[in-house]
Amino acid sequence: LTFFFLWVCTMQHVEALEVLLQGLSGVPKERVRVHELCLKSVPMLGAVPSEVRLLCDLAQPTPSWTIRHVGGAMRGAGAEQISILVRTIVESKASSNVLRYFYGIGYKLDHEILKVGFAFRFQRGAQFTVTVTSANKMPKLHATDEAVQVTPGIQLVEITAPAAANNYNDVVSAVTSFCEYLAPLLHLSKPGNSTGIVPTAGAAAASLMSSGGAKTL
Amino acid sequence: SHIAQPGGPHPVKTRESRHRRRPSSPALHRPAAMAPAKWLMHWHPNPGVTLNTQILSEACGCAESLGGTKDGRWKTSIIFYRPMTRDGAGGAQQNLPPDVPRELLGVALHERPGLYFSILRNQRLVLQADAAFSQVMEKLQSFKARVNLNFEGFQYQLGDFCLRIGKCVPNNTETLRGIMMEVEYYPLSSIEKSRAIMVDFFDIWQETLAKKSLPGRFIHVESNFAEYGLSDHYSFQHTAVQYATCLQQLMAAVRA
Repeated sequence: LTFFFLWVCTMQHVEALEVLLQGLSGVPKERVRVHELCLKSVPMLGAVPSEVRLLCDLAQPTPSWTIRHVGGAMRGAGAEQISILVRTIVESKASSNVLRYFYGIGYKLDHEILKVGFAFRFQRGAQFTVTVTSANKMPKLHATDEAVQVTPGIQLVEITAPAAANNYNDVVSAVTSFCEYLAPLLHLSKPGNSTGIVPTAGAAAASLMSSGGAKTL
Repeated sequence: SHIAQPGGPHPVKTRESRHRRRPSSPALHRPAAMAPAKWLMHWHPNPGVTLNTQILSEACGCAESLGGTKDGRWKTSIIFYRPMTRDGAGGAQQNLPPDVPRELLGVALHERPGLYFSILRNQRLVLQADAAFSQVMEKLQSFKARVNLNFEGFQYQLGDFCLRIGKCVPNNTETLRGIMMEVEYYPLSSIEKSRAIMVDFFDIWQETLAKKSLPGRFIHVESNFAEYGLSDHYSFQHTAVQYATCLQQLMAAVRA
């Protein structure tokens, strides 16, 4: 399974973005509190150095773990034509001893962050998950309760949608057209192409907040 | 803390305890995947006797003579992973740090095709993951799957028991590496509570099989579940651990 994984840094207008996403998705938002641990292989292990992420969902009463491998960016003629950055992701749920497992097979903690925010999951031509979070760092190892924002006021927007070989193009169009709805507030583009800040974002945000989201942009 | 620190079941969260080394302990927050109690047994041939499939047919015959109804095939696989090093296809392993294991086991159980288990024997650790885990390992390229062993055969329903009698063969070959069986008791998930009935069943089984005068016997070797942090409630993780134990026994029997 191939996942789209694309992101942009957005800032300031988080409440407006929430209103917009609420309107577009028609579903209630979900709380997000994920402890993300990024592990790297020890020297000499593996044909190439490797990196794996462990995500612990702290929003539920019982923490649950996911292993995530993020592949390289898609390249080639197809990649040039689409305006968003596409990476493949492979994920697996895992039992709570997964961190000890990876330590045991030759991986070390490179860094960890706590992502706090909200997410919307909905169907709109593709199965979307839009997550808006702030990144928080921990002063001590694993001390999620003491995490502080890395860049106050700046949020990370992540959009993922699963795709397989046979529906890849359909999912690309669904994601591309969805991104256009977000254009008033933020630009989703490849790093290096343009900034994430939209000049009229402030006005768009004000409009969204005053109407409580009932108005369509 | 959601990070299961090594230590007792209720570790004291002090500044020092976060970093102090402690002996391993039962993992917390295990997904509750309870299953019926199960024993694995392997065929131990008499010294000097080679394995052959006749033993398999005789064992299946016994299951039927006890009133078992054959109701399909089963297959569980064990995959051996070896670490890869930068400078070659895992050849120069002396360059690896000593604490990197020289072997990982992957276990794909017939009863849960959506799950995948991985065992670190040296650390008495059993990980439960999704079937996608093997794809994660392929992407990482730190460990490579080298040998794939299948345990496969027929299964029989026998009242409250299910018997699975199988051969152990490397994938895509017919070379017989071992013979084993699973005995599952549906009504109970407690290992302790089911012990007596399992022993009784095993006695009946041995008596029935003894009439065939086969050159060997089935043996049940206890796995040390507590060392793996597993409780008295039987689960798929227990089965994965039993397969690792069973495999060790089969390898030893072949070498002997």
